[in-house]
Amino acid sequence: MAKPSQARTSTPMRDFLDDRPIKLRRERSPVPASLRPFVLAIGLCLLAGTLVFLDRRGIITPARQMLQSLTAPVAQRLTGLRDDLGAFFSAPRGAAALEARIAALERENGELRSQLLRLEQAQVENTFLRQQLAIQRAHPWTLLGAEVTVRSPDAGRRMITIARGSREGLRPGMAVIGQLPGTPAALIGIVESTGPHAADVLLITDISSQVSGRVIHQGRAEVGLVRGQWQHGSRLQLGQITRDLDLAPGDSVVTAGLTGALRLPFDLAAIPPNIPIGSVDQVRVIDQHQIAEVRPFVDPDQVRYVWVILSQDD
Amino acid sequence: MGDPQPRRLEEALAHEAGRIAGLFALACVQVTLLGLPSGFTLPLVPVLAICRALLGVSAAFPDVGLGRALRWGLYGGLALDVFAATPLGAHALALLLAMLIVAALTRRLRVERPAVPLLAVLVGMLIYETVLVLFLQPGAIDWRRYLVVVMLPSVVVALAPTLPLFFLLRRLLRGQL
Repeated sequence: MAKPSQARTSTPMRDFLDDRPIKLRRERSPVPASLRPFVLAIGLCLLAGTLVFLDRRGIITPARQMLQSLTAPVAQRLTGLRDDLGAFFSAPRGAAALEARIAALERENGELRSQLLRLEQAQVENTFLRQQLAIQRAHPWTLLGAEVTVRSPDAGRRMITIARGSREGLRPGMAVIGQLPGTPAALIGIVESTGPHAADVLLITDISSQVSGRVIHQGRAEVGLVRGQWQHGSRLQLGQITRDLDLAPGDSVVTAGLTGALRLPFDLAAIPPNIPIGSVDQVRVIDQHQIAEVRPFVDPDQVRYVWVILSQDD
Repeated sequence: MGDPQPRRLEEALAHEAGRIAGLFALACVQVTLLGLPSGFTLPLVPVLAICRALLGVSAAFPDVGLGRALRWGLYGGLALDVFAATPLGAHALALLLAMLIVAALTRRLRVERPAVPLLAVLVGMLIYETVLVLFLQPGAIDWRRYLVVVMLPSVVVALAPTLPLFFLLRRLLRGQL
């Protein structure tokens, strides 16, 4: 009866004695059992060194560059993600911080807007100065540029106010010219009155404007009077031209430098001769005189910037 | 020596491919997401590789553990070379040398002490940075300035995540140690 129990108890003993002892994973040996890992390390170092050498010689550089091009999109996306996260975390938190941030941005915005305005202004001024230079090269005039600040609000009088006045040397009677893209510099008005820093300019299209003009036809010239006609539904009218000269559409009209028939107290000598005014559009004959409708070279209602002829070089 | 049950070849290859992919992903994260405003980058791959070497040396089978750790160093270093556009093998060599020396120095130490991973990363990063600068910087190097301006801040940045990474890695690799 005792045999079975002996057999049961002897089985584990035999296992322990007969079998090779099992080395548990958690049994720790304090040092590497061999030099194998260090040999492996040296081998891997040699491999890395060889790779460096080959890359320096350009042998495996294309392979590296290909790997870089493959990984670049992922890296770029992750970098973008980091930037977004950085922006998110650096954003202000809380109402007070947000208000301060908004105030700072508004200040910055205002400064930038004013800078932009200054730049735009400088750009416009540059354009006008270039125009002025071109005009001065073509004509013997001394010019002073001025911005149009105010246009006449009613149709009763065709006037503009410009941002130059007596302090800058403007006097009543001075000719004011303008230029639009594709047109010559041409007379648009005459300074009627001046303040220290502003001047009123009567446009040549106003019905009260009368300027002595010279019409040129096939090498001949005839002096007449250019009157404004805007309130009559037209622009300019050239009158007092005798029938000796056969006016024709397209004939040019320039200032005569006389301006004797003006009823305004202008300094008549201030308008130099030969300032382009316009070209003949239609011609009518009344008795012994001819009357021509003149289309101004420059529409005075379109100009934004004008030049006052201060003087003319002889 | 090593695992009592040898793995099949395809299983080993799959594990190796996974290891390579994982280290490339970590290197990508390091170079893209872990940049600091100061201009330094949190050296995730080097710190992990050094910690892995430490764990490999302290494993039940140090030969196997260190061998695996060295493969981490090689793959991680090559991945950093690819992402950092440095000569292929430069980061790998620096990392392998750092791991080798750390493994040699710490083979008789108990790595459970928090000071050991910190010291290992300190030494390892100094070696890593030194080897890298020798490879990547042409011409003469002002070592004193380089130590103060580059190496010491890099080591400090590396020490910051060392302990969390070490203990996380030890937990994750528990079955393999």
